[in-house]
Amino acid sequence: MDLKTEVLIIGGGATGTGIARDLALRGIPSLLVEKGDFTSGASGRNQGLLHSGGRYAVNDPDAARECITENRILRRIAPHCIQPTEGLFVSLPEDGPEYRADFIRACGAAGIDTLPLSPREALAMEPCLNPRIIGAVQVPDGAIDPFTLVVENARDAESRGARILIHTEVTSLIRDGLRITGVHVRDRITDEAFAIAATWVVNATGAWANHILRMAGLQIGLALSKGSMLITNTRLSERVLNRCRPPANGDIIVPNDTVSILGTTSMRVEDLERYEVTPEEVTFLVDELSRMIPDLKGERFTRAYAGVRPLLQSEENSDDRTISRGFALIDHGSFSGPVGLVTITGGKLMTYRLMAEKTVDFICERMGLHVPCSTHAQPLPGAGHGHTLKDRLLRLRRQTPAAKGELLCDCELVPREAVDAILREGKVRELQDILHRTRLAKGTCQGGFCVYRLLGLLNERNKTDVSGGSNRILKDFLEERWKGIRPVLWGTSLKEEELIESIYKGMFNLTAEELHPRPNPPLSKGEGNLPARLGGGEA
Amino acid sequence: MKRFDLIVIGTGLAGLTAARTAIAMGAKVLIVGKGMGALTLFGNTVDILGEIPPGTEMAEEITRWIAAHPKHPYARTGWEGIKSAVTAFQELFLPPYHFAASGRGNSLLPTGAGTMRPTWLIPVTMAAGAAMIPAETLIVGFRGFKDFQGDTVSLHLKCRGVTLSLPRYGMEGLTAPAIARLMDDTSFRERLGESIRQQMAGERFIGLPAVLGLRDPAAVLKTLETVTGARVFEIPMLPPSIPGTRIFHRFREELIAKGADFRMGHSVSGVMVQDGRCEGIHIPNPPLVAEYRADRVILATGRFLGGGLWAEMDRIIEPVFNIPVFQPGERGQWFGERFFDPEAHPIHRAGVVTDTDLRPVDAAGQVILANVWAAGSILAHHQAIEEKSREGIDIATGFLAAKRALAS
Repeated sequence: MDLKTEVLIIGGGATGTGIARDLALRGIPSLLVEKGDFTSGASGRNQGLLHSGGRYAVNDPDAARECITENRILRRIAPHCIQPTEGLFVSLPEDGPEYRADFIRACGAAGIDTLPLSPREALAMEPCLNPRIIGAVQVPDGAIDPFTLVVENARDAESRGARILIHTEVTSLIRDGLRITGVHVRDRITDEAFAIAATWVVNATGAWANHILRMAGLQIGLALSKGSMLITNTRLSERVLNRCRPPANGDIIVPNDTVSILGTTSMRVEDLERYEVTPEEVTFLVDELSRMIPDLKGERFTRAYAGVRPLLQSEENSDDRTISRGFALIDHGSFSGPVGLVTITGGKLMTYRLMAEKTVDFICERMGLHVPCSTHAQPLPGAGHGHTLKDRLLRLRRQTPAAKGELLCDCELVPREAVDAILREGKVRELQDILHRTRLAKGTCQGGFCVYRLLGLLNERNKTDVSGGSNRILKDFLEERWKGIRPVLWGTSLKEEELIESIYKGMFNLTAEELHPRPNPPLSKGEGNLPARLGGGEA
Repeated sequence: MKRFDLIVIGTGLAGLTAARTAIAMGAKVLIVGKGMGALTLFGNTVDILGEIPPGTEMAEEITRWIAAHPKHPYARTGWEGIKSAVTAFQELFLPPYHFAASGRGNSLLPTGAGTMRPTWLIPVTMAAGAAMIPAETLIVGFRGFKDFQGDTVSLHLKCRGVTLSLPRYGMEGLTAPAIARLMDDTSFRERLGESIRQQMAGERFIGLPAVLGLRDPAAVLKTLETVTGARVFEIPMLPPSIPGTRIFHRFREELIAKGADFRMGHSVSGVMVQDGRCEGIHIPNPPLVAEYRADRVILATGRFLGGGLWAEMDRIIEPVFNIPVFQPGERGQWFGERFFDPEAHPIHRAGVVTDTDLRPVDAAGQVILANVWAAGSILAHHQAIEEKSREGIDIATGFLAAKRALAS
């Protein structure tokens, strides 16, 4: 199976899917390959913060302006991915009043609305705050759901003719003299290898940019910075809480539906496939953020995770390569590299759309096309469909008959029917794909109960025909879950862990011996209908 | 103010066993606990030591095993201690709903994940599971009952499986207690048996989720076996556990009948310690705090799940008496790198260290409180989850603690 396209995009994060959508809206054929599932990289491993730009206002006004512009655009095109919570920049005595004054001034210059609050006003709005605060400033921060954002960009691109292959990894670049003319890829589930010919290859792999570039003998200055985050079991505040001080570690708390996400740290990493949240980072985050919320130490933490930011290290040729401070669009053909290869990296989730716009502008210019970008004006397909907790509850209540309302996941209220709908769509290929597309396993028990139930459903649908059966998938899931749980095991989380271990290792007697080296076993195609062997099983 | 011979803190299997042992010896007993303990989560069968392979003689192997594990709670009780405690447990469950070992060693029973699991004493409702032959077994699941996935069980056990619909009583998704209560109704289980019979293709065994009634499980078993003509067995599944709830209810019934003061839903808010002895406990009864005095106290509050141990970010504490807890290293060392590490996670060895009489001791080995004994999973140096020794430790140490306490 060899394929051909105009623009081949590598990377299924916000930037890659954003580029696919932008190209599709401008009528340019594209094909996107992603080695895992959507949002496997930094797009799925960030704090879910819809920046107002306030964080950058003092030190990086350009980035601040970019943020507030994109903030307004995203509220328009993806309202269903956003919780417009507002945000506070909170000054503790040690932060001093000077930075606060600078902050308000800089926000004004960047076009970010501010509302200064007295300590009393701020405490009335957020009673969890440290009563010693000397003031706060309200800005239009919010929470964003990157999973829905990325999946919707992908769906919209596909519906407009783009092709997307997940679990498909680039193994080498095809070179014809001075040109890159396509890529060799491998399906990571079937192991099938094939080639994709393309006029342009866009490297939108974020932190993996150099991994792709090495295939062409190239390298860019990219520092890999790990940021770790913690999720609490309950929502601590109504609004995003930031420390009003120069950006540092451990100074943001983002509320998201029923939980809060605490961040973050920055540590250099070398190996992109192997990094973890250390106990020291966890202790640091809890200690540092409890300055803002004194009761934080008594909270239950459900999970820790880390993402890797691709930070641009140097700007040796800064003219047309650097479109803006935060991200870089590099046309390797202009720098003695092969023609037809473009890298877009750096940046942040907030600017994914702008990064896509600049990339596609560049390709259009080289193709001699004059089609303007419209991603800032065209809402995503799900816009207008409520995605809030309230909407989910209302939908659940409307579901009849009762059996359809059966919940697989009690923590996050995921009905069996929602999973069945995803299975019918036929795009998921492994357990984690299902988990990415629902809220299954994201609640208090972190999948301890619902994944067993999900596997029962998959067995019923004959979709677990792998060696070792569904228990192998279950064990691999528990192993994956462990990475997020282990760093926060004390207090109530440790109680929960004893429960889960008692169930799976104790009562179900699952043991280490059958673990396979391959991390994610696939789901078999199976049938959408009830297997014959269960036919007529109604009493 | 009331005065008792013995106060037992903890209403799990260890505490219940201790209280019952003391009552049987004629003591005046108060038993107090926050909840129903791990019994109602995972209580199904009685494990002694699942590590010992089925087919080998338990008595011989366990003696050798204990000799190799001198810090283990079993080293305090010995095989003789385990045996007499377990025998006393069996005497509480008289036929028709009784517990028995199916041989001189461990037996393997099917689980809700379709795996086989070694155990020692089996309730009559699960006994046929040890004898089942996959090709002659039908696994029955219930539509809408998500805590038992029949297809998972039948696929892994290589049996045939069916999923039946139960008449819904206005419920969205069935729970184990709800189905168990339905089973207590004779006409319901007769109809269910008939539905199963219609699905059978000559099977001699039928496996069902462990929900065969709370009041009279043996009668439920009998009805289903009579109607289907096959041997029926329960399969342990996700919590809550109906078989464990039966065990709890039986103990409570016995304790109350024999005059124990049984206080459920109360936690101990304080202890009265004087001159190296515990004189009594405080139980909050808002707006008052009640005071109970006793000559002896048994601490059987369980591990982290039960609240007997509590992990702060940097240390593990015992909240009732603040007894020093053995802990394996710093927080970063509590757990292994993988969930399924070949070795049990180091934290499972944490717990209260005792002298040979089960009295908690400090790091120097000195008894901390002269009239306090500890029993059950709160004890250090066992790995109940991996060893499959949960009930054995609870029963054997609960029994021994009561004997030692009343002998003093």
